[in-house]
Amino acid sequence: MKPMWENYFIKKNDEDPVIQSLESIPVFDNLTSKEFREISRLVHKRNYKKGEIIFKKDSPGEGMYIVLSGSVKIKDPDSETNFASLTKNNFFGEMALLDKETRSAQAEANDPTNLIGFFRTDLMSIISRFPQMGNKILLNLAKVLAERLRQANELLKNK
Amino acid sequence: MDAAHKIYRLFAWVLSLTIFWLIFPFVSPVMLMIIIAFILTSIFLPIVDKIERSIGNRSISVFFVMLTSFISFFWFLGSFLSNFGYQIKIFSEKLKDEIFVKSLTTLWDKVQFVIPNPILNLIPESSKIVLTLQGKLDTIFQNILSVLSTTGNILLILVMSLIFTIIILVEYYSFKRSLVQFIPNKYFELGLRLIYNIEQQVSKFLMGQLLAASTVAIMSIAGLFILNKMGANLTLIIFIGIIAGFANLIPMIGPFVGMVPAILISIMNNMDNPLAMSHYLFGTIPSPFFILDIILMFFLIQQIDNNFVTPIVVGESTGLHPMLVMISLLIGGFLLGPIGMLFAVPAAGIFKVIINELIFISKNSHLL
Repeated sequence: MKPMWENYFIKKNDEDPVIQSLESIPVFDNLTSKEFREISRLVHKRNYKKGEIIFKKDSPGEGMYIVLSGSVKIKDPDSETNFASLTKNNFFGEMALLDKETRSAQAEANDPTNLIGFFRTDLMSIISRFPQMGNKILLNLAKVLAERLRQANELLKNK
Repeated sequence: MDAAHKIYRLFAWVLSLTIFWLIFPFVSPVMLMIIIAFILTSIFLPIVDKIERSIGNRSISVFFVMLTSFISFFWFLGSFLSNFGYQIKIFSEKLKDEIFVKSLTTLWDKVQFVIPNPILNLIPESSKIVLTLQGKLDTIFQNILSVLSTTGNILLILVMSLIFTIIILVEYYSFKRSLVQFIPNKYFELGLRLIYNIEQQVSKFLMGQLLAASTVAIMSIAGLFILNKMGANLTLIIFIGIIAGFANLIPMIGPFVGMVPAILISIMNNMDNPLAMSHYLFGTIPSPFFILDIILMFFLIQQIDNNFVTPIVVGESTGLHPMLVMISLLIGGFLLGPIGMLFAVPAAGIFKVIINELIFISKNSHLL
């Protein structure tokens, strides 16, 4: 638990690797340094061993992850198809922030990996406590998903 | 898991439970403080979040909410105690008054004709009642004093719970994050969902209950006011209403808690009032001191609350079977007395959420 007085002594954002990583993610575009500090107090830092499963396919999704260090493999466990290999400042699972659908693929740590978890409950608390920041994040999420849809359309067109 | 590992785990469980059983009497007051603090946090959290949203500072928002609640609570307690003390003083003076005793004896003679014989035989004579009351009055005051001395302990629990509440409210989100850090990776998302569901369940239940309690309080005040207009001569009606509202938080038993002070005050105020002594409910059923009127009023309020108010404001927030509500009330009552009964239903609701999640886990264990 952080001490109460910490709220009154502003820290420089550029020293915190979590804030640095969050700043590079399009989901958190246009946020102020104060807003980044608030988010960094909400997100969860998790460490995974090599080969450890982050989430399984078809499990209920609760939120997104950002790679802080190491790498993550996104794959279909049934067909053993690898969809992507994600490294520092890449993110995955952002769709789970918006709906309660199950995960469409499996995420597995390729190396010893540090991740930042940002979950639906965190987003809910941001929307309830800081609606302006919540709106920015939701708009950014919509942009990310629109971009993904555009890419999918392009892929279909090319096929 | 091999047999030795299983035995080791069983041994560890038994040892932990024994240690818990041994230290429980020493840590139970602290546990009670923490439970009260968490319940108060659940009540105040939405208001603190709302104020924080407007002023942008959580500490000031917590300070503002707690100060307002603190002042309101002590203002209520102070004015209730002073008014109640005044009521007792007037009543004791009445009892010592010779003219009052005489008028009561005359009234008693009149009332005897309207009460059926079998019931009449059960009631002692008026002179005996007055003598008993005069004799018991000193004992009652001594008892009140002994109750006040034990309130010191309750006050300590309340003050500590308030301090815990302030700390938890200021650091709520950091505190929650620190807590979930201990959840293993495999169960992390599941743990988050479980905590969120419990939070929602408790918050919905408490807010619903508070709304229902406020509605019962307002209805009770209105009902007592109407009875006063009919000549019931009741005092402290706002306090009785508020007590009735909050007592309503304890299912099944609460409504009687509101009824008893109203009846006592009616008896105290109307002992020298011939009209109240010979009052008839609907002009047909004898209802001395408006006792039956008061019982009927609280019964009606209870029916309105059970059939209209609670289903709307509390809804299916706990969704517990009435039988389970009764069992949880009994267990709460056995463990912690009236406080246990107050917390029994939300605790059973939390239990239900946990069991639902465990069922989900057992059905989807392949996904973990």
